[in-house]
Amino acid sequence: MARVVILGAGISGHTAALHLKRRLKRGHEVIVVSPNANWNWIPSNIWVGVGRMTTDQVTFPLRPVYRRKGIDFRQALAVAIRPEGDGDHESGSVDIVYTDPTRLGEEERLTYDFLINATGPKLNFAATPGLGPDGNSLSVCTAKHAEQTSAAFDSIVDALKRGERKTLVIGVGHGTCTCEGAAFEYTFNIEHELCERGVRELADVVYLTNEYDLGDFGVGGMSFAQNGFVTSSKMWTESLFRERKVRAILRAHVERVEPGVIHYEQLDGTKGTLAFDFAMLLPPFRGADLKAYDRQGEDISDQLFAPNGFLRVDADYAAKPFEEWTAEDWPSTYQSVGYSNLFGIGIAFAPPHPISRPRSTPDGTVISPAPPRTGMPSGVMGRVVAHSIADRIERGETAPLHKASMASMGAACIASAGAGMRTGTAAAMTMYPIVPNFTRFPESGRSLKETTGEIGLGAHWTKLLLHYLFLYKAKARPGWFLIPE
Amino acid sequence: MDDAASSIAAAPLPTRKTLRARSSLPYQVMRFVAFNIRMLRMVRKGHH
Repeated sequence: MARVVILGAGISGHTAALHLKRRLKRGHEVIVVSPNANWNWIPSNIWVGVGRMTTDQVTFPLRPVYRRKGIDFRQALAVAIRPEGDGDHESGSVDIVYTDPTRLGEEERLTYDFLINATGPKLNFAATPGLGPDGNSLSVCTAKHAEQTSAAFDSIVDALKRGERKTLVIGVGHGTCTCEGAAFEYTFNIEHELCERGVRELADVVYLTNEYDLGDFGVGGMSFAQNGFVTSSKMWTESLFRERKVRAILRAHVERVEPGVIHYEQLDGTKGTLAFDFAMLLPPFRGADLKAYDRQGEDISDQLFAPNGFLRVDADYAAKPFEEWTAEDWPSTYQSVGYSNLFGIGIAFAPPHPISRPRSTPDGTVISPAPPRTGMPSGVMGRVVAHSIADRIERGETAPLHKASMASMGAACIASAGAGMRTGTAAAMTMYPIVPNFTRFPESGRSLKETTGEIGLGAHWTKLLLHYLFLYKAKARPGWFLIPE
Repeated sequence: MDDAASSIAAAPLPTRKTLRARSSLPYQVMRFVAFNIRMLRMVRKGHH
């Protein structure tokens, strides 16, 4: 009987756990290790951040779901992987420290036959002095952060109602951030709420980003075929900024956030400051604080993980210029190179390079979005790795691995631009593939038929539909597996 | 005016007809269905 340990219960880890339990016969163990007791549908945190939803609407406790499905849940933080085992165990193991209040601080070593690293990102607020809820800016990365941000937004609205002018800055807090789409969504939800609450006129809304152009979203932008023309996500996004009177500061790396003032540098080396009354700035990501040790106890973290802390998998990590990047650089099985029973999925795997063209200032400060790999691709990775492991448990080590490269996978991104069943709006985008493949699609790297964008109320309904569908799926309700990732 | 501001200022604005279409209930019901079909087609095509 085999034991599969999954580190992390976010979109990718939770999806992997549910699929594994469904595939494997009784007797095999699936253990999920996560420091958080709750599952969070993170895409809806932006609605918590403007007071349109509560934390309870975007989270639910994991333990009852896992108990019902027969999955062993350990509320604990993984601190070390021992892929070769240790002096006592032949099989690999992982060291965990419980965050469960009933076992707080207790340490345990769990052996495994297969390990999935789905730890997600470490929110690296420390990369920028003064960034984050413990510093001088706000966040919507967790439901708790979003609740705090919503309260701060209410105070700003109260001040606007008193006739005071306010500057609201939304964006990313470092030159190497990802998730520009989430910052974009929050910007337009804030703008929408200001209109709905009748205080838009006195508010200056500013989008501060590391993107070279608007509409880049960390995927190098998109091209769409519309009305007989090939248009760009740049033009499309700029049009929305003009229509909604939102200012933008592009190509920016935030150097530090002081109370009420953001200090930033732009790609041409110029430095600027931006005074604010409200600032929601997303942090850069890095891998979780996990160490790796060999059988003798020697630190092999450098072999297992990339310098940014993400797990090296079956990607081509050779450094090469942007012009030589290919779709084949991207991983497809998410299997660790050195250890065939170790996989990295979701944000936890190390991408071979960005998708957007890398750029830096004359002094060498990198100002370039990191590649997004959240949501849909994370779920797909969870599913394919679950099937790969289930096949290997049932059919032996020669069973072929399932594949799902981001260079052959599509994604839908619904960027909310305001909530409300009659007044809401969103930008609905599909792209295929996520990573441009210029061999298959020489014109723009992506299929012009399957890469689309449109704005409207219907897109908001889709975003809302996905919210309820994915919560249903994550709760493993009847037929959950029929809902695609 | 900086690069971003001038680029945004030069972007096309939606016409009144486009804005009406974006919030028209019957039209948006059709777009909702069309987008979801497109999304499912893409999921089937791109996800192994």
